Amino acid sequence: MQNKFRGVMQSPITPLKDDYSLDLPAFEKVLDFHVRTGAPAISWPHHKGESLSLTIPERKRFAEATVKVVAGRVPVTIHVSALAVEDTMELAQHAQKIGADGILAITPYFWTPTREAIHDYFIRLCTSIELPVLSYNSPSYLAGVEITGELMSRLIERLPNFVGVKEASFNSEKFLEISRVALALRPNFALLTGVEFLLPSVPLGGVGSYSAAGSVCPNLCAALFDACMAGEWPRARELQYKMTRLWHLFKDQYPSSLKGGMVIMGRPVGPTRPPLPTATKERQAFIEKELADMGVLDSEPHGW
Amino acid sequence: MSVFEPGLVHTPVTPFTRDNRIDYDTFGRLIEFHLRSGADSLALPTHIGESVSLTDEEQRALLAFAIRQVNGRKPIIAHASDAGSAIAADRARHAQELGAAAIVATTPYYWTPPPHMIIEHFAAIGSAVTIPFFVYNSPEEMPGTRITADLCLKLIDRLPNFAGVVDLSLDWQFMIELLTYAERKRGGFALIAGTEHMMSAAAIGATGLFSPLAGVAPKLVRKLFDSCRKDLLVKARSDQEAVAALRQHLKSSGSLKAALRAMGRDCGVPRPPLQAPDAEGSRALAAMLEPMLRDEPRGF
Repeated sequence: MQNKFRGVMQSPITPLKDDYSLDLPAFEKVLDFHVRTGAPAISWPHHKGESLSLTIPERKRFAEATVKVVAGRVPVTIHVSALAVEDTMELAQHAQKIGADGILAITPYFWTPTREAIHDYFIRLCTSIELPVLSYNSPSYLAGVEITGELMSRLIERLPNFVGVKEASFNSEKFLEISRVALALRPNFALLTGVEFLLPSVPLGGVGSYSAAGSVCPNLCAALFDACMAGEWPRARELQYKMTRLWHLFKDQYPSSLKGGMVIMGRPVGPTRPPLPTATKERQAFIEKELADMGVLDSEPHGW
Repeated sequence: MSVFEPGLVHTPVTPFTRDNRIDYDTFGRLIEFHLRSGADSLALPTHIGESVSLTDEEQRALLAFAIRQVNGRKPIIAHASDAGSAIAADRARHAQELGAAAIVATTPYYWTPPPHMIIEHFAAIGSAVTIPFFVYNSPEEMPGTRITADLCLKLIDRLPNFAGVVDLSLDWQFMIELLTYAERKRGGFALIAGTEHMMSAAAIGATGLFSPLAGVAPKLVRKLFDSCRKDLLVKARSDQEAVAALRQHLKSSGSLKAALRAMGRDCGVPRPPLQAPDAEGSRALAAMLEPMLRDEPRGF
């Protein structure tokens, strides 16, 4: 059976009002925009959705809105990673209760846990719910803390609902090793790349990614995925390079610049919570120039 | 500058005699083996060839010997890295005089300089020659220094002969960013995989490969390289997994030399401070490798 988590899946940003409070009507528009423009699945709140700057009650409230607005049109996963593992456990319970299709969870923050501690963490989390769990591996952001191939194989063997990984090492050797052990044990294991680096991952068994730039350029996301899956490598290269120019533009003060880009695309979503800055008018003008130069203003949808 | 395509580059080990001198008889036979076994170019003496354990004089003599031995049959890329910019630049200049086709150099040993000093270091080496100059990006071997795509773009502006990057970082973000921008600045700018993790690099656009394992498993490496260059990326996967498995056991000069001995190509043991596996370790390694290397050539 094919895993339902594949393709370039969208993780919506979190719209805020000028006073930094959650903007529910705008969030509903963002969700609907992603579903209408071809997102194969929705996942919220990623780091790009300012997850760690939201309170736990805020996360629950918008998780409920996500499930309600998407309304079964595509699968919904809830990102449950929180600084306190106890909060993660509670968010996972909540996701199951509100009818999400799965959860996503990173290795614990800050403490640089040992491999055994990471193992025990995922065992505890995955056995506490029945939902499918996607793990999230991001060694470069978490001081080298990572899910190795060896750990991945133990978790897959033990946990029937451990169905995939958001792999953000962006490293050939690490990705190949995880792919090799995971697919041998669970052939439909979802190997997903952290952001849209599809080109190097698909030949190694990757079946999709989460999206950084999808709220600006959903058409490019779909085209890149299609070219990679069809093995049209010269075209895939051209699209990947274009995507990289966008990633370069947005990763500076991510997701502030992305929110700035959404203003240019006619989909304003308000400021970014501190400590991250909000894109200034000057920054927005720079982003507009870059988007125009890349042809994005003509090839991607404007407005909601 | 004409575009130089290194293709599949074999990086030979440096054979030593029992009393720790360079074993030129064996080196000559080893070079012939590499040329017969699918090398498009040779690079030497690289880190796997224990460049850092050779004196300046030895590095020059080794290169001169190799160039005489190869006698124009294939291009030779000379490795010219050192802690001091002037020492490395002088070695590069000498390599060009000897007839090297290109130079490759990594960041300065030990000093961990910030980016603007790394640029000056590479500019000093690259501008000492007119042949193509490649930067060797190996963050794991060179902790504390980091080569970014931005640094490479600045170096393109400085050096007309800066021809490409040999990448051992395996970092998709770096490789994609590099090619996205470098190609626009300098057509033909090359990304070369610095280890046998070729598939993802090839998908991104790498056109060459530096292969230490080619001394042990030349057929497998050639097959992987050819599939990748033909864009048969999905087909290449099983060979990529086989090479990756081999690589896990053969990352060091000591284990690589033990494997070479098991394959009937004895090149001695590494110079201190590197250590070879002991007799029992070598036997265990040979036994483990045996099923992986069944189709590969034995002897010189």
